Amino acid sequence: MPNAKQALLLVSDQEFLQHHTGRGHPESPQRLQAVLKRLETSSAPGNSLAGSLRIIPARAARREELLTVHDENYLLRFEETALSGRSYLDHPDNQLSYDSYRIALQAAGAGLAAIDRLEEGGQSAALALVRPPGHHAERAAALGFCFLNNAAVAARYWQQRHQRQRIMIIDWDAHHGNGIQAAFEEDPDVFYLSIHEHPTWSFPGTGWSEERGSGPGRGATINLPLRPGSGDEQVMRLINEKVNPALAKFAPEALIIGAGFDGHRDDDMSGLAYSSELYRHLGRYAAAWSAQFCPGRLLSLLEGGYQPELLAVCVENYLDGLLKKGSDL
Amino acid sequence: MNIKQYMSAPVLTISPEMTIPDARELLRARDFRHLPVVDENGQLLGIVTDRDLRSAYPSTVLCDERSQARLAALKKTPVSEIMSRDTYTLPVEATIDDALLILDRQKVGALPVVDENGAVLGMFSIRDLIRAYRGLFGLGERGSAMLAIEDDGRPRPLSRLCAALEAADIHFTRLLKAKQKPEDEHFIIYLRVTTYNLSAVRKILAAAGFFEKTDH
Repeated sequence: MPNAKQALLLVSDQEFLQHHTGRGHPESPQRLQAVLKRLETSSAPGNSLAGSLRIIPARAARREELLTVHDENYLLRFEETALSGRSYLDHPDNQLSYDSYRIALQAAGAGLAAIDRLEEGGQSAALALVRPPGHHAERAAALGFCFLNNAAVAARYWQQRHQRQRIMIIDWDAHHGNGIQAAFEEDPDVFYLSIHEHPTWSFPGTGWSEERGSGPGRGATINLPLRPGSGDEQVMRLINEKVNPALAKFAPEALIIGAGFDGHRDDDMSGLAYSSELYRHLGRYAAAWSAQFCPGRLLSLLEGGYQPELLAVCVENYLDGLLKKGSDL
Repeated sequence: MNIKQYMSAPVLTISPEMTIPDARELLRARDFRHLPVVDENGQLLGIVTDRDLRSAYPSTVLCDERSQARLAALKKTPVSEIMSRDTYTLPVEATIDDALLILDRQKVGALPVVDENGAVLGMFSIRDLIRAYRGLFGLGERGSAMLAIEDDGRPRPLSRLCAALEAADIHFTRLLKAKQKPEDEHFIIYLRVTTYNLSAVRKILAAAGFFEKTDH
C-alpha cells in the first residue's frame, strides 16, 4: 500500500461536466465522465489505485490571477458571449454554453487550488481533471476548444504566490500548445517544452523546431515535432535525448505537465500512434523528474484526449505511473 | 501575385560616386545584401552586393605593406568600378512567378524592380519570395492544419471535395492539386482547413470517398 506521502491529489469537480459543447463535439462532458467512472472503480479497496488518490475541489480563478496571462477585454468578451447564449467564441470550434465562462474560471483555478495544497507539503503530485482545456488559448483569443490558458495561469501563480521562479512546462498533448508558448515567448524563467505532431500536418500549425523563444526567453522554448505515425519509441528517444538534458540544465523549481492523451493511436484527432502504456511511462518520468528537481511540486493539467473510454484508460495508466516513479525506468 | 505587393520598398539606393568603404558600412549597418546604384534621376546603373564589396578588399595573405596600399586606394574608389552593370531587373507589373523563374535561372539573390523609365521602385530578394509563398500557402497560420488527400483519378475530385466540406460547414483556406513528381500517376490534393476538429474532417472526407495520404 502506498503511504500518505505518495498520495496524489486529484482536482475533480462535477462542475466541469456543465460546460456543454453541443452534439457530436469531440470535447464533450463524456470525456470526464468516463475518466471519473473508471477512477472510481480503480480506487476502490483492493484495486490498483486504492488509497492513493485524495480528491479536492477546484476553485474559481480570480480576475487578477487571469490577468497575468489574459487581456481584460477578452475576459469580458468571453463572459458576454457565454451569457448572451451565443454558441461559440472566435471560431465555431470553440463551442460554449451559458455556464462556460464560470466553469472555465474553475478550470483555470483548479491548478491553483492544487498548487496551494502541494505547497503545504505532504503530497507528491497533483492532477487536475479539468475542461475546457487550455493550451491553445491565447492572451485575447479562444482557439482549439480552449478559452483560458490553465497551464500559463498556473505557472504565473506558482511564481507570484509561492515564489517559485523557475517553472518548466512539459506539454505532451498531440497538439502544440501555442498559447503557452506565446505567453512565455520572451520569459527565461518559464521553460516551455512540447512534444507534438509535426505542424505541417497538424493543428494549430505552430510549434516548428526552429521556434526557440525570443529576446531574453531565447532557448527557454523547445519544440519537438513528431511525424504522423510516430509512436512510443520516438517519444522515449526524445525524452532521453532532449527532455532529460533540458531539465538538467534548467533545474526547475516546479513542474507543470500539459497532459493531453490525444496522441494515442486510436484517437483520430491526431496522426500520432502512441500506446496506452506510454502514459504509464510518462507518469513515471514525470514523478522521477519532480523527485529530482522539485519534490512535491508536480502539477499535471488535463488537456486533450477525445475518445472517452480510451482517455479513461490512459489517465489511469498515467496516475499509476506517477505513483510508481522510477521503479524501473 | 504582383511583385509590387511583395517587394521591399522604398529601397535604399546609392550614387555611383559612393566609395567602397562607405557602401560596405551601409550594407553592414542596414543588414542588406544588395545596393542598387542609381543616377541623379533614380535610374538604375548597376548593383553592388556584399560579395562584390568583400572581394574588393585585399586578401589577408598579402603582406602588410601592399595590403595598406590597397586599402588606401580603396578609400577613394567609387562603387561604379566594381558594380555589376548587366543587372537583371523586374518590371513593376511582373508577378512573383516571373521573379521565381529569373532568380532560379540567373542564380542571383535579389532583383531590382523598376518602372517603365528604369527608375528603381524596390528590391525583390529570395527572402521576399519565400515570404510571399509562405503567405500564399498559409504556412504557420495559427489555427489551421493541412491534410494530404489521395486523388484516385475519379472525375471532379475538387468539386466533390468542396461540396462535402461546405455542406458540413468546414472552413478551408487552401486547396491545391499537384503531383509530387511529374511522372507520378496520381495527384495529391493538399487541403488547409481552419479547424481543430480533424476527426470530423476525416469522417466527412471518408463519407465523400476520399482518403488521407499517409506516406506523404
